Amino acid sequence: MIVLQLVVNGVLLGGTYILLAQGLNLVFGVMGIVNLAHGSIITVAGLFTYWFVTHTDQSPLWLIPCVFVVMLAVGAVLQRLLLEPLAKLGTRRELLSLMVTFGLSYVIVETALNFFGSQYVSLPNLQETWSVGGLAINEALVAAGVLGALISGCLHVWLHYTPSGKALLATSQNATGAVTCGIDVRRMRGISFAIGSALAGIAGVLLILILPLSAPTADTLTILSFVIVALGGLGDYKGAVYAGLLLGLVQSGVGYYLGGDVEVVVPYLLLITFMVLRPQGLGQAAR
Amino acid sequence: MSGGTLRARGGAFLAPLIAAAVLFAAAAHAQKPIVVGASISETGPLAVDAAYHLKGIQLGIADANAHGGWLGRKLELKLYDDQSNPGTAVRLYTRLITEDKVDLLVGPYSSGISQAVAPLMNKYEHVTPMPGASLPAIFSAGNKWAFQLLPPATGYLDGMLPMTKAMGAHKIAILQAQLSFTLACGQARLDQAKALSMDVVYSTTYAMPPPDFSSIALAIKSANPDVVIACSYYPDAVGLAQALHRIGYAPKFFAETIGPAEDQFISALGPITNRIVSNTSWWPSLKTHDNAGFIARYKAMFHEDPDYHSAATYAAMQVLGAAVKATKSLDQEKLRAWMATHEVETVQGMFKSGPTGLAMGFEQYMFQIQNGKRLLVWPAKNEQAKPQVPYTGQ
Repeated sequence: MIVLQLVVNGVLLGGTYILLAQGLNLVFGVMGIVNLAHGSIITVAGLFTYWFVTHTDQSPLWLIPCVFVVMLAVGAVLQRLLLEPLAKLGTRRELLSLMVTFGLSYVIVETALNFFGSQYVSLPNLQETWSVGGLAINEALVAAGVLGALISGCLHVWLHYTPSGKALLATSQNATGAVTCGIDVRRMRGISFAIGSALAGIAGVLLILILPLSAPTADTLTILSFVIVALGGLGDYKGAVYAGLLLGLVQSGVGYYLGGDVEVVVPYLLLITFMVLRPQGLGQAAR
Repeated sequence: MSGGTLRARGGAFLAPLIAAAVLFAAAAHAQKPIVVGASISETGPLAVDAAYHLKGIQLGIADANAHGGWLGRKLELKLYDDQSNPGTAVRLYTRLITEDKVDLLVGPYSSGISQAVAPLMNKYEHVTPMPGASLPAIFSAGNKWAFQLLPPATGYLDGMLPMTKAMGAHKIAILQAQLSFTLACGQARLDQAKALSMDVVYSTTYAMPPPDFSSIALAIKSANPDVVIACSYYPDAVGLAQALHRIGYAPKFFAETIGPAEDQFISALGPITNRIVSNTSWWPSLKTHDNAGFIARYKAMFHEDPDYHSAATYAAMQVLGAAVKATKSLDQEKLRAWMATHEVETVQGMFKSGPTGLAMGFEQYMFQIQNGKRLLVWPAKNEQAKPQVPYTGQ
């Protein structure tokens, strides 16, 4: 029964990891940049959720569609103003985009510190635990896990079965080829960053229900998200799903059998192992 | 008119001017504020508790200024944020001593950061009360300038095992965050369990920022202890309580060192905090020197209740003030010699230094959250309520 519980915990934790990483993954896949502000967007969304719930006494789940729409717009504006101008700079673009998103993360974190303070906060919502056949299943982890799976499913359907999704996928696979097919690559970059930001926003709303967050948590979340994306194969959204689940399961087992110290280093040990043995990651796409 | 007369006249003319300038300079110096320097974790994992630490200093300064300051001079705080990072704190305290040349120092929050900066106090011979340093190792042989203003970490939750053993508990789980204070506290509880012939059925350490506690909670459940003791800070105290709740497990007794003392602990976790036990070195009901006045002024200034972190830093300001007034000086050696040999009544109890700066006079207490209220349950002479058992986790 313990092993089964560890698997359930690992899968639910993995769902949360998928949610954290998919936004970053999409942006890397299409734009070829690592968005170092990803963790700060997650954190700000989480802190805003805390503020919203404590001031309105409403369920945090109400915020999910609102945060999605707002972050979609914010992401589109940020991409147009800060990142699109770099697209013309050729090989310098990647380094400059790192610097821009690094600066952006600082601005977001400092703004969050001013608005929300520096304290760790968490919410007591969705803390019911259901007992199913002797297994304990927590409401918040289920919400995060199910939404992680749902979002990955929606991404799959969108990327493979809609014209705009196919155009985005084509851009991520070969930008030059996409241009020759008449795809507006610039628009695709805007869409990917907007959706990436919106996914990060949703991840923040759910993460505050699972972990205590404070503004400086942003860096840890960016690093963790990047590790998942790298494990999956940079830009490979299916790979990120596998990586999130693998990480959740391994951490679940290691935390139980070897304790908290080893659990924390698991993502990095896995990353090093994969970089040596399977640098293309868990997914099919080798970039 | 001779030159000598002219010089005499000039001298007669200049003398009052020079005297006036000297007096003016002396008056200006007298008005120059006494600068108290500190670096506090305003951001990072320690920020919740460190906020109380800072407020105690701010209130101490406000109180001193309301009574005309010290040595006829107002007090002013020179403050930096160490971001919960010991390396940053070392840089900032070096800056406070060598560049800002502050008159007095108050130590940072947490044992880990205090341990990092304490060698500076000895290197630069700057007397420093350390209200965030419970780790005894900081005040080992060789320390001369740092003074502990908290009870030692080894005494945190030291009433938990005797109290629970008397109620039939035998199996214990102990968790420790990988930080100096929490490791010292955890080791002391492990040693105490051995001395009391109680079984440690689960023990682990974890890094900060804290991990997801799901698996650790499951491991605790498998070990099925009577008592769970977490030597924690705020975020891990919250994370562990949440994780135990999520797997539907509640040990008979559950205690966490740091976290439950803060108001946001209860608001963040809700009813699952009920019957959690924690530790404190100060309490509103204690009949210590000026305790009621301290609480009233704190509430007036910050519109919230103080906690033991605020009391410790306020006590540090009381000790510094007593030393400055007694020696009528800001001379570091005079202040050090006075603090090493004198006792001071503070809101936290009696300040009394051991030979290496270790606090000898402060006491430890335990409180329990009972229906949203924190009540002292140990030691018996100070108890406000009997401990309620079992912890139900809801």
